[in-house]
Amino acid sequence: MGHPLSSPEHARHALLYMYRIRKFEEAVEDLFGRGMMHGTMHLSIGQEAGPTGMCLALKLEDQITSTHRGHGHCIAKGADLTRMMAELLGKEIGYCGGRGGSMHIADAETGNLGANGVVGGGIPIAVGAALASKLQKKGTVAVSFFGDGAMNEGAFHEAANLAAIWKLPVILFCENNKYGMSSSTETAFAIDRLADRGLGYGIPGVTVDGNDVVAVYEACETAVARARNGEGPTLIETVTYRWKGHSRSDKNLYRTKEEIEEWKHLDPIPNFISKVLAAGILSQEDIDATAKMAQDQIIEAVNNAAQAKSAVPDGLLEAVFKAVSA
Amino acid sequence: MSTDNRMLTMAEALREAMGIAMDERPEVFILGEDIGIYGGAFGVTGDLYHRFSPERVIDTPISELGIVGAAVGAALSGMRPIVEIQFSDFTAQAMDQIANQAAKIHFMLGGALHVPLVLRTPQGSGTGAAAQHSQNLETWFANVPGLKVVVPSNPADAKGLLLSAIDDPNPVIFLEHKLLYKIPGRDPVPEGAIRIPLGVSQVVREGKDLTLVATGIMVNKSFEVCEKLAAEGISVTLIDPRTISPLDMNPIFESVEKTGRLLVVQEGPSHGGFINEVIARVSESSSFGSLIAPIKRLAGMNIPIPYAPQLEKAAVPQIEDIEIAARDLVKSWR
Amino acid sequence: MPKMSMTMETGELIDYHVKVGDRVNSGDVLFEVMTDKIDMEVESPADGVVEQLIGGVGATIEIGKPVLILLTDTEVMAFDFGGEATPLPPAPASIEVEQVVEEVVVVPEVIAPIAVAPTIVSQTFKAVPKARAFATESGIDLRTIVASGPDQTIMYADVANQRPSEEQLKRQAANRALIARGIEMTQNIPQASFTRSINISDSGMPHLISSWAKVLRSRPELNVSGKDGVLNQLVGVATIIESKYGSALPVYKNPDLMGKDELSALVSTTSSAAQHGKVPLSMLSGATTTVFDLRSYKMITTTPRLFPHQVTGLTIGESLDGSIALSLTIDLRHCDFYDGANLLELLVKTL
Repeated sequence: MGHPLSSPEHARHALLYMYRIRKFEEAVEDLFGRGMMHGTMHLSIGQEAGPTGMCLALKLEDQITSTHRGHGHCIAKGADLTRMMAELLGKEIGYCGGRGGSMHIADAETGNLGANGVVGGGIPIAVGAALASKLQKKGTVAVSFFGDGAMNEGAFHEAANLAAIWKLPVILFCENNKYGMSSSTETAFAIDRLADRGLGYGIPGVTVDGNDVVAVYEACETAVARARNGEGPTLIETVTYRWKGHSRSDKNLYRTKEEIEEWKHLDPIPNFISKVLAAGILSQEDIDATAKMAQDQIIEAVNNAAQAKSAVPDGLLEAVFKAVSA
Repeated sequence: MSTDNRMLTMAEALREAMGIAMDERPEVFILGEDIGIYGGAFGVTGDLYHRFSPERVIDTPISELGIVGAAVGAALSGMRPIVEIQFSDFTAQAMDQIANQAAKIHFMLGGALHVPLVLRTPQGSGTGAAAQHSQNLETWFANVPGLKVVVPSNPADAKGLLLSAIDDPNPVIFLEHKLLYKIPGRDPVPEGAIRIPLGVSQVVREGKDLTLVATGIMVNKSFEVCEKLAAEGISVTLIDPRTISPLDMNPIFESVEKTGRLLVVQEGPSHGGFINEVIARVSESSSFGSLIAPIKRLAGMNIPIPYAPQLEKAAVPQIEDIEIAARDLVKSWR
Repeated sequence: MPKMSMTMETGELIDYHVKVGDRVNSGDVLFEVMTDKIDMEVESPADGVVEQLIGGVGATIEIGKPVLILLTDTEVMAFDFGGEATPLPPAPASIEVEQVVEEVVVVPEVIAPIAVAPTIVSQTFKAVPKARAFATESGIDLRTIVASGPDQTIMYADVANQRPSEEQLKRQAANRALIARGIEMTQNIPQASFTRSINISDSGMPHLISSWAKVLRSRPELNVSGKDGVLNQLVGVATIIESKYGSALPVYKNPDLMGKDELSALVSTTSSAAQHGKVPLSMLSGATTTVFDLRSYKMITTTPRLFPHQVTGLTIGESLDGSIALSLTIDLRHCDFYDGANLLELLVKTL
């Protein structure tokens, strides 16, 4: 898309997407709280700037893999809100026909190779997509979104090394929200700056403020250009914060209230709004209108999804394999 | 090896299949450890690296999880990777990408994406490689919905089945037996792109006294037993499923109805083993009523494969074991 | 009360952190809840003023039910679910498996012709599947078989070598002779057949026999039996049942005068008895007409022959379109074409 501060159109786009993610997650929180959603939900409220900034630097045909906390990634890459909501509500029109749920949403049309229920599961897959891009000379870039917790999985290390030795057009995008379930990065890592791990593989590592969509975008733009130029992978670390507990099952036992309060002041949406107002790119009316547009879109998505037909257990056996064409 | 002698070894037959597939489709490529310049730990990929290119026959570091995952990602992106894992035992390193990712993506994602991936790996005991390099893992993979599992018993089948596996839009685990790589089969390997469909069992020989179902290397041992028993007037139907998942039971049902006796043989450990599926299905079917003898199974001992040769042999069914079991079934039950 | 974990169904309201009239900001704790797992704090979703406290402290409240009402400064999202927003049932802890109880049907004892009973070798036995199947089919009692297989198991060979008993062979021969004689006796009688196709809801044998008996009762001159063509008060409808003992022809006497359930039960037990060659003697005479059911042979119709001393015969077949084909055969010396057609019409109406 382009730099969020480069024009009113770009600014509106960035703001709309961040609001979409925020409102979507709030709606999920509400619906889950009412008992309308099965299983558990992993919300990314407060982490909107990361996926928004990254996807602003990508084209439609570029690919992403996502995580169990992937609603934001899917929305930022252009997923249909109704189909996403429908999946969470177990409806036929959901992205996976009700068979995958929150953690397995994929959208082939927007290059989304799927959220993943296994921590680190999507990292080698994104590297593989980048490998295909290079072998087939497609010129596309693959992005692997993952959290700080995934950086200690063997999959991260193996995938990072492969990406580096083969100089693949992949961006390893780590959303460091300081906590993997209940262990903080302080206890899980012996280093302070996670991007330093890139050094171990010969990959440039960049750390940015994950609550500043402009900073995120700029780091991503550089990494994408590197990748398309054949210069290989980049490890981007965004430092952000997760407002709500790991899943709805948590009680925030492992973080202090003060910690949570401090971070709320760094909410990426007001952060961006103040930048945009200060630069005179958008007016308050524009901003309010964008917020309302996002809210209306989510309400429409929920209404459409909630009234759609529930998935039925027909054709489950036939859905395991793709049919072999004669 | 002269060109008109088509008695290829299994390694040669597999190499031929991969060469044909790579010629047919530019999106087919191979990756694995030591498969390129070295030609593969068991010499299967051979000269493919030179015939094609380093981009199509890719040497990787020792990163099973990473390379299988990369193969999944490439398969999702329009390519058809063939991953070689050096010993089937090491698939354990890559199990997340095999069982949690590749096997489940098509179903979990509601059909949005699919994974046309082939994972080839040598399995089985008899080389003195001991516990961590000798396992037969048919059972592990057969029990994962979303994986197709193929176990060729001879070079001609290996070639035809591998071609079909590469064509298949789903993940296929292709389990080759180490001891079969260097020897030819009973039959010549057809030239050209002759495919054998997955999911079709083969009746290797017909008989009227006993139905014998075996997988992989046990098919070959069983064949020798059949020859010996034929001389004694005992005729055995030998069936090789070839694809163990999905499993074609029809010839087995038909045969049991004719012979009334069933003996099943596998190499892997008996407890919860794949071959028990054949017994369960016969039990559940109308062919059960045709049985005139109890169903007998031979399988590996429930131990890790030991090192010393006499211990290694004792751990899995041998020709003598199959012969005794077959003869006993036929003679004792009328 | 929000659902806060996968298995939560209710929450116990422990305490409020606010009172009516308090101003709260988004994220402030409103109340505390004890769930199946742990003690959780519920935060305000928006800025606003506490308007009403609904749930009582200490109460156990279902998820999705109201606890507190907040008047918000800004509009919060409201959804239209197109109906009740009902919570999903919680994940089941265990699944109950229904026990399947098999119904045992008891076939009442019928008087059987005396036969020599083979000696019982063992009250309990083991037998291979094929031996069991064969024994059931052939009416062989496995307790009478000597097991020669390993571990004292009855092998297929042990039962397959059983020839049909002398008794069975005699009966089969007698049966064949009877049929041959019947054909010989009736081949010179002038006969005609008529067929009608009808669709009826109840096409079972009891209904057919009883309806036909009713029709025949209204035409006593056609309800003939015996050599001399003696008229009868009794209507006896014979049916034909094939078994390995040959053809049995049980006769149902006055089936139209029996209760529906009584007749159904009798038809059922008689069929079973016939399969075992045990139709009681009392049911083997007194026929004034015969009903031939060809449906199990998938036949539409046939040219039925009259049985000796009978003036009418009915054949039931199944047409291609699934309707019932009724064929009536008459003895033209007692009944002319017009009569025959009327009779069939009457039967159709009765059915």
